[in-house]
Amino acid sequence: MAEIDCEETKALVHEYLHNELRPEAQQDITVHLALCDSCEEEYDLEVYLNKAITRSCDEAPPKQLAERVLDYIRKTQTH
Amino acid sequence: MPRVLELADSASLLDSEAMTSERDEATESKIRDFERQALPLMPQLYGAALRWTRNPSDAEDLVQEAMAKAFVAWAQYQQGTNLKAWLYRIMTNTHINTYNRKAKDPSKGGLDELEDWQLGDAKSLTATTSRSAELEALDNLPSEIVRKSLLEIPEEFRMVVYYAVVDGLPYAEIAEVMGTPVGTVMSRLHRGKKLLRVLLAEYAIEQGYLSAELKTEKS
Repeated sequence: MAEIDCEETKALVHEYLHNELRPEAQQDITVHLALCDSCEEEYDLEVYLNKAITRSCDEAPPKQLAERVLDYIRKTQTH
Repeated sequence: MPRVLELADSASLLDSEAMTSERDEATESKIRDFERQALPLMPQLYGAALRWTRNPSDAEDLVQEAMAKAFVAWAQYQQGTNLKAWLYRIMTNTHINTYNRKAKDPSKGGLDELEDWQLGDAKSLTATTSRSAELEALDNLPSEIVRKSLLEIPEEFRMVVYYAVVDGLPYAEIAEVMGTPVGTVMSRLHRGKKLLRVLLAEYAIEQGYLSAELKTEKS
């Protein structure tokens, strides 16, 4: 297992949270986070930011949009 | 007499059905296939379209145009591959073409070359802020403010943040959807989140979710 410092850990926060790291690197960070309050707080912040973003983007399309799209496709296909 | 009319109607209906050409039937079955596979993805497409266009009426138009293009290209879609990413990619192109036709914005471009300090510095804003206070503010901020802030960051950053965070698309697929290398996806995600964090902290201070004396911490 490789030692990983705070700077590296903080730089990889998004890759870690989005599961884009190799399993060993993911593991190194998990270990570092368990031992480092400062990095853990930083990671928590990004998790909360992600939650806030996801919560805010929840608009559903208008009910008639599917029908409108199909009508449009039929119209542009047959003329 | 209603009865006679009914008969006349059904007779003409049979006639027109008989006249339906094979080509029309093929189109209808293609439409049904498209409807079954692509239409269930419309909520996701609409969500992304809202982030591109920043308003509901343009988002509906963008979804409609992208779907119509996707239907024309339907034969080229390889069954079994990621349909959502394929549709997103078509929507990216549709939006960029529409946008370029509407107006050329000379201030755009070169965003990726901007230095971090030009994008605002989340660290200087938050270094002396208690992170637990920032975290609490984030948790309490109304969704409306978060939504608005996301629309305020540059389009290239906004879309990558949206695809990664809300949609959970892997970097490689975002790269394909946006037509950029994976490295660009990474740097745009980092910078986009950083910009957003600064904006949200500013709103949080303005609206009293974060203590006001923190304002002096902003560089």
